[in-house]
Amino acid sequence: MAQKLLDILIERFGDSVVLETHNHCGDETAVIDAAHWREVATFLRDDPRCKMNMLADLCGVDRFDAEPRFEVVAHLNSLHFAHRLRIKARIGDEDGEGALLDSLVPVWAGANWFERETYDMFGIKFEAHPDLRRILLYEEFEGYPLRKDYPAAKTQPLVPYREGPDVLDKLPPFGADEGMVFGRKHLDYVKEED
Amino acid sequence: MEPLDQEVEESELELPSDPMQLMMGPSHPAMHGTVRIAVELSGEVVVKADVQIGYLHRGFEKSCERGNWTQVFPYVDRCNYSSPMLNNVGYALAVEKLCGLTVPDRCQYYRVILGELARMADHLVCNAAMAMELGAFTPFLWWTRAREMIYDLFEEETGARVTHSFGRIGGMAHPPTDNFKQHTLAILDKVVASSDEGISLLETNRIFMDRTMGVSAISQADAIALGWTGPCLRSTGVPYDIRKAHPYLVYDRFEFDVPVGHEGDNYDRLMVRAEEVHQSARIIRQALEQMPDEGPINVDDPRIVLPPKGEVYDTIEATIRHFKIIMEGLKVPAGEAYGYTEAANGELGFYVVSDGSGTPYRVRIRPPSFALVGGLSKLITGQMIADIIPTFGSMNMIGGECDH
Amino acid sequence: MPTFKIDGKDVPFEKGDTILRAALRAGIDIPYYCWHPGLSIAANCRMCLVEILPPPGRPPMLLDVLELDREKSAYVNVKKPKLQPACQVPAGENMEVLSDTSEHVLRARHSVQEFLLLNHPVDCPICDQAGECKLQDYWLEHMKTKKRMRDEPVHKPKAVSFGPTIVYDAERCIICTRCVRFCKEVVKDPVLTVRERGNVNEIAVSPGRELDHAYTFMTEHVCPVGALTTKDFRFKARVWFLRSAKSICQGCATGCNAYLDYDPRYQRAYRYRPRDNEKVNQHWMCDEGMLSYKLAHDDRITLARIGGKQAKLAKAVSKAAELLKDGPTDQTAILLSAQHSNEDNFALVSLAKALGIKAMFLTGKADGEGDDILRHVDKNPNTAGVKLVAAKAVGSFDDLVKGIEAGTVKHVVALGSAVPVEDADSTLKQLTTLVVVGSSSSSLSRNADVFLPACTWAEAHGVYVNAKGMGQQSLRAIAPADDAQPGWKLVADLAEALGQKFAWSKLKELRAVMPAVKEPEPEKPEDEPAENADASAES
Repeated sequence: MAQKLLDILIERFGDSVVLETHNHCGDETAVIDAAHWREVATFLRDDPRCKMNMLADLCGVDRFDAEPRFEVVAHLNSLHFAHRLRIKARIGDEDGEGALLDSLVPVWAGANWFERETYDMFGIKFEAHPDLRRILLYEEFEGYPLRKDYPAAKTQPLVPYREGPDVLDKLPPFGADEGMVFGRKHLDYVKEED
Repeated sequence: MEPLDQEVEESELELPSDPMQLMMGPSHPAMHGTVRIAVELSGEVVVKADVQIGYLHRGFEKSCERGNWTQVFPYVDRCNYSSPMLNNVGYALAVEKLCGLTVPDRCQYYRVILGELARMADHLVCNAAMAMELGAFTPFLWWTRAREMIYDLFEEETGARVTHSFGRIGGMAHPPTDNFKQHTLAILDKVVASSDEGISLLETNRIFMDRTMGVSAISQADAIALGWTGPCLRSTGVPYDIRKAHPYLVYDRFEFDVPVGHEGDNYDRLMVRAEEVHQSARIIRQALEQMPDEGPINVDDPRIVLPPKGEVYDTIEATIRHFKIIMEGLKVPAGEAYGYTEAANGELGFYVVSDGSGTPYRVRIRPPSFALVGGLSKLITGQMIADIIPTFGSMNMIGGECDH
Repeated sequence: MPTFKIDGKDVPFEKGDTILRAALRAGIDIPYYCWHPGLSIAANCRMCLVEILPPPGRPPMLLDVLELDREKSAYVNVKKPKLQPACQVPAGENMEVLSDTSEHVLRARHSVQEFLLLNHPVDCPICDQAGECKLQDYWLEHMKTKKRMRDEPVHKPKAVSFGPTIVYDAERCIICTRCVRFCKEVVKDPVLTVRERGNVNEIAVSPGRELDHAYTFMTEHVCPVGALTTKDFRFKARVWFLRSAKSICQGCATGCNAYLDYDPRYQRAYRYRPRDNEKVNQHWMCDEGMLSYKLAHDDRITLARIGGKQAKLAKAVSKAAELLKDGPTDQTAILLSAQHSNEDNFALVSLAKALGIKAMFLTGKADGEGDDILRHVDKNPNTAGVKLVAAKAVGSFDDLVKGIEAGTVKHVVALGSAVPVEDADSTLKQLTTLVVVGSSSSSLSRNADVFLPACTWAEAHGVYVNAKGMGQQSLRAIAPADDAQPGWKLVADLAEALGQKFAWSKLKELRAVMPAVKEPEPEKPEDEPAENADASAES
């Protein structure tokens, strides 16, 4: 049903922008060149044959061993024609650097939080996003958890109370060497000699 | 403040003019599922609102990558814990789409019936909470009692009231019990009657109407651009329901209506949900009639479905089958699929990526309430602080799903 | 290259190849149990049966069989093509073989699998082979149906101790005779045989003997099911928790290629499995080598020591620098280790060069038993590598002992933990300064003034040169424990503390300046070794 969407895209943008298409499990998918991400999205929203007026989902996938490393996957939906499309862009190098993509917030307002979540989980930055900060995790979180090289059992460093004019310079109620042993290495047999 | 019995010059009065910052939540009775709304108030009016979610983030997507495909079902239950069966069914359908499997008819009806019951429970509880926060405690008690009946049915069928982990890839964990149909029919009328009774207390109630009508209205275009789906989208007048637009399971065999609202305000959202309870009951009645009483519940594929336990203890073939499925996980062919269903809050999508092994490579849940709460700040800006409560209540944000 | 067809696909083959060999090389999976690339052909399991279409002009070989016709409820005569074992039939030009596309072949595989499982005990929960068992894999691929037999399966002896290392379970055995053939053909010690017939068949040890030759672990390795298990690995770990690292055995100078299986949750090595390499160890490893994985954990010292007391690593390095700064370089010597990789030894040689130390000696394990199958007399994996990396003449440990006794050597920087003599304590005590970069406890560590904990081969990448002059890379398996670091890194830190910072700091940079190993002249081209990257032992 949505095969014609893929045809329209290829006809309008050509092979240099629409890099790959497939139709596995009945989901039409197009891999878009990252530089034309917003252009293609705007076209899909506005073109009268496509009219993809809803962004259903936007997320990232860490391909880890492939180059470029990350894939940003957007699922689009048209309430007029009831056809759906998945578009993807591939960005980022093997260390996770250089993962930068245009923000789709000007195209669909709902992309705001989805892009924040993708940034939070993968470290993919979106250009021209009005408010790109972590959404599900706290500000001081170190690392990007859904990357494949982030070990699931990793513990985060303890966070001191945030500074503010009324907040005293407090640390959490227990020191870094107190509290639960679980997950932390206990090296109490190396004595401090100073 | 200056004492009142003294004469004071106008210019000497100190009236604060900066907006007041108020942190509502995350530990707040009205912030369902822990959300913090950092509002800036000018008097009672909300000038700016920053909705901060993530307090219930438990690493669902990362946890899925550490086990088998079947071990995702308990995680998925705990996403939308108000209607866990819909999550189970949604995930199972997404993975079955990737495997290219279709479950037998009897299982499809079973999934529909249990899913619609879960939807009713979710709507009842959402409306109940919203009403209670406005001061109407009675509908809350009635509707919670009605939900108890649905929970009793789930307990009979699955063994657990809430997080039953009953779905399986290729079917369900167990076949329906012998008096499943009678039990369902017995409670259906009572639940709908309870819902109607509670609504009758609210729908023409002066206070309720003043508190919810015209409050936090949103236009169709805005709602669509924000990615809203489900009752919240339908309350704006868009008749979009995935069960009608992209029918899955056996929904195309039923006659049911899709209730829509007009204004997209709090009142409409509550009424759309109340009407959906009726429609769900209608679907369930038709499904109970059409559901075959005999037949397999699971797909007949030894690579996907576990063998009967008695055989596992006795024969090596069943042991091997059990072993392979449990230890290596059932092998889902490499590829990706996006399976979407109409959950209680809207489009619940699962984007699953497989590398061909028994461990999921990526399981992405597209929570309907994530998109809804993304629009919350737009809705409450300009409203009064007391309006935040029914607005947030009418959106039915489920913390487990939104924060996954 | 001549080709033949399997299922319509062209498969190239070399002269003398059987259908199975050519198919496996082309990546086509034909199931088998009893065939092994390193053993003779037995063709007794019948799992690899394929249908070979008759050559043009010849009638097909058909057998008369009875088949149950369900509609007539009676047995009727039908003709069935005679299937051939792919492991045995040599491939011929333009031959047409049907494997997955033939109904008869699929039925045959189903039937063979059914027969093999007929009397098989329900042991999966307690069987070590679970997770890497061909019976399990082929049931899922080729059988998929339930048991039809209603009778009690035949019972045979279980958990029979064959010798000091191997335990046999006759019920699980499918009498593929791989173990029998291995002992006879590779070890040239035909100690195993098959006794009885029919469904009371079992493997037996020659009367009056035990399974005690030097390659008993290989009988477990070739066994496709859980009939033969090693006492060392039994019930220790489940293979689906284990990951495999491509390692080189550290037991002797043969440098057999191996997979070191470790559990990443506990960072523990559990066993070795041989890795195929036609040029080095073909498909085998000796018992000593198979057990040498224990060196990764036994007797380890993972924290730095100053004079026998534990200390922080940075402190120990500065203390070592302090001790060495004072010593005159003509009385200082370095002791290289044939147990450590090229990288570790090269770092120490560079340190010697930077400090002007001329005396270099070599330590390692003492010589042991060798044979003409795999084991080398030299029980050190990297003797040739050290000589290459030192580029000059290196004295032996005896020379060092003489030097210490004579008083010409007073300060030593040593690498490694093994010494080739029984008691070196008395000699080493005479040294003024002894800095040791090692991994395990030994007389070197006992007498060290400063001990810096180095990684074993399991914890760091390294290049080892075997007796034939081949340089082989061993990849790391587990993460270094506690404060252990790769030997080359510790030496580099020591050099920096002595004011002689090296130009390289990362492994890649180090390898760029290290002398490259010149590969020996290749012999005539052989088959590509089959790589097996996960912890399941198929062969």
